[in-house]
Amino acid sequence: MNQYLNQVRAIIWKDFVTELKTRELFSSMFIFALLVIVIFIFSINLSIVKASEVGPGVLWVAFLFAGTIGLNRSFMLEKENGCLEGLLLAPVDRTALYFGKLISNFVFLLIMEAFILPIFMIFFNVDLLPHLLPLIYVIFLGTLGFCAIGTLLSSLSANLKTRDIMLPILLYPLIIPIIIGSVRMTGQILAGEPLSNMTNWISLILCFDVIYIAVSIMMIDFILEE
Amino acid sequence: MNEQIYPDSPCPIIQVRDLRKDFGYLQALSGVSFDLNKGEFLTIFGPNGAGKTTLIKVLTGLMRPTSGSAMISGFDVLEGNAKLRNQIGVISHSTCLYPDLTALENLLFYAKLYGLDSPEERANESIRAVGLQLRRHDLVRTYSRGMQQKMAIARATLHEPSVLFLDEPFTGLDLSAANALKEQLNDLHTNQRTLIMTTHDMSCGLEICDRVAIQNKGKFLFLESIEDIDSENFETFYIETLEK
Repeated sequence: MNQYLNQVRAIIWKDFVTELKTRELFSSMFIFALLVIVIFIFSINLSIVKASEVGPGVLWVAFLFAGTIGLNRSFMLEKENGCLEGLLLAPVDRTALYFGKLISNFVFLLIMEAFILPIFMIFFNVDLLPHLLPLIYVIFLGTLGFCAIGTLLSSLSANLKTRDIMLPILLYPLIIPIIIGSVRMTGQILAGEPLSNMTNWISLILCFDVIYIAVSIMMIDFILEE
Repeated sequence: MNEQIYPDSPCPIIQVRDLRKDFGYLQALSGVSFDLNKGEFLTIFGPNGAGKTTLIKVLTGLMRPTSGSAMISGFDVLEGNAKLRNQIGVISHSTCLYPDLTALENLLFYAKLYGLDSPEERANESIRAVGLQLRRHDLVRTYSRGMQQKMAIARATLHEPSVLFLDEPFTGLDLSAANALKEQLNDLHTNQRTLIMTTHDMSCGLEICDRVAIQNKGKFLFLESIEDIDSENFETFYIETLEK
């Protein structure tokens, strides 16, 4: 077990050291999310619609698109110089590899989201500060589900020639429940409702998080095999 | 056929029996069998598409065979367990090194994956062994092809595997880098490592091996000890064998 955790830690360490040196992943995700918000802010007339009603959708679309870029890049890095082969040749359980990549993707995405939230606040003129804790909770749950299935699918699409197209095609239908739940909850939170009123949505997202992680654990061996 | 050539191999470290691998209608491996003893060096020659890389991928557990069996150090390749992966190292034309990490960081990462004791010490030792200690803090991206190949050897031998697979290791190397690699392979050979190498470079391949195989269309057409081969006329023999 100790060795397993050390291997997961090593994969996370490697991803963080690489990202600290290149800042490729963060900058591309952040700029993309920013662009999405800017495009929406110019296409929506906020004097007609309430920002708290359209804002959650825009926020999650930005997270979703930017996150897809991050997921695509995540396993692409492993394909460079045949590094994935090096990982598969090491005595590493495939699930350790999955969890290492999942945690890295999850943390990178959370960092990007932390930078995007204040920008969203300014552009949409929404005060998030009174709702920050429940909002963080929802973002945490939604991002976890997105990364859980996204990491598995990015490992699958990394071996395909059409990987850039395949990931969103495979990923988006599967994360619809998580995105719907997250958008609804974010809207309710911005409207001032407490989390206790959203137990159904929380349960739904939690269920999908658990299902996606469980499915990934079962599938990762087959997916990484050539 | 090969079992008849080497009927009484004393406890071979590699045992391959009737290995087959199909990709749809294409037979990449069609019944490869051979034994290899500890410390032996087998070079496999063959044209492009002969199935050499597929054979290495199957033997290293990266690819599942359609049928047949392969045992390395007593471990079944099909089971692909961690103990087997601790016993093998692979050097191919891809270096398996992260270009945005330094040489030391790369080896440190692999040392942690292999669960080695004192990983930093081991990583430094391996870098010293390939003569790159002065550039250990440089990004691998800045290395020449020859230096990257040296690092690939350091990575593949970091955990001191008993069996080493080399898939076209001379690809893209200039003469001096190829000679340096040959020396390193000789050192590994004298250290009782079992080596299997695929290459197109006949002079390099023949110079350092104990046994030679010719593979074509997924089959071993020839497998002999180096003493039984006329090295000077091997190229002609190779072409004739392929044409048969």
